[in-house]
Amino acid sequence: MTDFDAIVVGSGMSGGWSAKELCERGLRVAVLERGPEIKPERDYVDQLPPWEQKNLDRISQDEIARHYYKQYPGVAYAVKESNKHFWVKDDEHPYETVDGTEYDWLRGYHTAGRSIMWSRQTYRMGPQDFTANKEENIGTDWPVRYDEIAPWYDYVERFAGIAGNRDGLKQLPDGEFQPAFELTCAEKEFKARVETAFPGRNVIQARVAHLTDVTDEQRALGRTNCQSRNRCHFGCSFKAYFSSLHATLPAAERTGNLTIVHNAIVQSIEYDAETNRVTGVRVVDAENNEHRFYSSRLVFLNASAIASALILLQSKTSAFPNGLANTSDQVGRNLMDHVSGAGANGLIQGFENKTVFGRRPGGIYIPRYANITEHDKPYKRGFGYQGGATPLGHANGQSPGIGRAFKEAHGAPGPWRVSIGAFGEQLPNPDNRVTLHPTKIDKWGNPLALFNVTYSENERVMLEEARKDAVAMLEAAGCTEINSSPVNLTVPGNRIHEMGSARMGRDPTTSVLNGWCQTHEVPNLFVTDGSFMASSACQNPSLSYMAFSARGVKYAVDLLEEKVI
Amino acid sequence: MKTRREVLQGLIVSIGGASLLNACGGVARVVPSSSMRFYTEQELALVSRVSDLIIPRTDTPGALDVNVPGFLDSLMTEWANQETKQSHHEELEELARMLGGDFVTLSPDASEQRLVLLDGEAFDGRPIHYSGYRSLKGLITQAYFASEDGALQEQKWVAVPGRWDPCIEIQ
Repeated sequence: MTDFDAIVVGSGMSGGWSAKELCERGLRVAVLERGPEIKPERDYVDQLPPWEQKNLDRISQDEIARHYYKQYPGVAYAVKESNKHFWVKDDEHPYETVDGTEYDWLRGYHTAGRSIMWSRQTYRMGPQDFTANKEENIGTDWPVRYDEIAPWYDYVERFAGIAGNRDGLKQLPDGEFQPAFELTCAEKEFKARVETAFPGRNVIQARVAHLTDVTDEQRALGRTNCQSRNRCHFGCSFKAYFSSLHATLPAAERTGNLTIVHNAIVQSIEYDAETNRVTGVRVVDAENNEHRFYSSRLVFLNASAIASALILLQSKTSAFPNGLANTSDQVGRNLMDHVSGAGANGLIQGFENKTVFGRRPGGIYIPRYANITEHDKPYKRGFGYQGGATPLGHANGQSPGIGRAFKEAHGAPGPWRVSIGAFGEQLPNPDNRVTLHPTKIDKWGNPLALFNVTYSENERVMLEEARKDAVAMLEAAGCTEINSSPVNLTVPGNRIHEMGSARMGRDPTTSVLNGWCQTHEVPNLFVTDGSFMASSACQNPSLSYMAFSARGVKYAVDLLEEKVI
Repeated sequence: MKTRREVLQGLIVSIGGASLLNACGGVARVVPSSSMRFYTEQELALVSRVSDLIIPRTDTPGALDVNVPGFLDSLMTEWANQETKQSHHEELEELARMLGGDFVTLSPDASEQRLVLLDGEAFDGRPIHYSGYRSLKGLITQAYFASEDGALQEQKWVAVPGRWDPCIEIQ
């Protein structure tokens, strides 16, 4: 008898789903989380008003230099004095990059991982995203097509709760949505003008993982509608945005089948060559460095695209000298992110006597049109824009005037500003990879991650075009004072959408996973975090991780029940 | 543990009189207590006067009522690194020079006239210059609106809006 029926490595966005689905099928499940427990009543700071925030909620500059020298510059908009405990300390969790390259590995080690810190934009991949590799002979063909994953998108959307509008766009399919956050009056005007000037483009409401019409199922988990506070990066005491902590893990827990083990850093997966099965995982305790072994019949890796690849690479045996399930040598390769650093902003007139109430999540989204409705592009694939049109407000005092007029001007909305920024697809490239550092180890004895990731010409050309397109749309919308900085590509990893490090494919010699996120080589080992992505598309990827996790679990448990594995 | 408000109240008391120095209050004279950890007496007088002129008491409390100078003193002590501390000192020195050595002892009207001139030049649309003044103005404004009175009374900040209204007509 094994310790557990299934082990899930990681409790974040996808691990929560694996745990929920496995528990609901009646399996005894252990979730191994490398970080400490998050207790909302102790660790959330979303209710802290501005005047109780220390030093404008800024982390001291010396502390940034000591502990957050990667995390803070990477995500300054979200890493604050009050919530810094959500982010890893870089000096405790170091990594290396190959000379001449950069990588932002931005992380939170605790219950629910980055699902409590994410920015919650939530989109499906479209039919074109599953066929592009094949059509362009890039990377490997996805062994899955949109129609096969669509019902699983429905399934996870209903449970997670996604606010969005049904826009009827082929490349960005609609889902099981709760009501979207309505566009501002300026956004409606911007939408009308852009869609008139560019008939192949659409300006739609951002789709976000926030409850706006809570279902009975969600209410039973203690979740409530979004209160429009914009305190999401500090946790949500209303449980209004989707996180493992408030949705999937509690659902798993109420089955009575879940055990969560914190501070359990997985070092390797144990493999039995005779049966060709994994038998469990070896962990080191983050607090006392004790080593333990947990046995199980199934292992799901949900540690994130980077950590899951590292665990496979660390699991070397004579059968797999190159790392577990890595005869293809694709583990750690094809590491992708989305690429930003191009956009524009400008003022939009005519709304001086209007304002907004509340602080919604999200804003507008301009779905990909390049190589969808417009085919004159000097690059492959495409990008979407995130943005919004809102009152500029007081701009932190960077406006002219002093005295009563200056003070009272802050109560007025000020001019309205449109701002859009691109999120582009990064092509898979086997040379973009994470490997085990040959000599350096962390304080638990695990090899450091060594990154070697650069953008290709396609990303560079695409973002230059995205900048020009952004300016053209703002001009078409009649914006004034248009600003558009020269393109400055984000550091790889900076969008925190790392993926692709154990890609799925049809051919075991060129891919790690099959279409069910099952490793080609070891039948009871699954990887359902972003590792499986054979291409990055340009949409925010979390929803796809959720859908593929749920689908992978069904397949795995069916095989288990049929005694195939 | 003290709340930020309690700490601020303590500071207001400790820098004695600063909270009374609003624009209607006559000659600015600040007596910094030893609890100031960063600003010199001259710097505190300058920051206090500039804060008061930028965000005076109106029908709502002003920058001095919520002790913006004390807040910035804490910010510079606890948040700033050595380099930022040094440049803030230098920026204040430059600002004092630009405003004239007698600035803090001028009548409110006269000091206001000087600051209006300087502010006009700092925001005249050319690429950012007078960066020391602009940075101080930014800090004063952020500190004020992060205070309880600034947030609640002046900005009408609502902790839990409870709804999103994307388009409201301003009366």
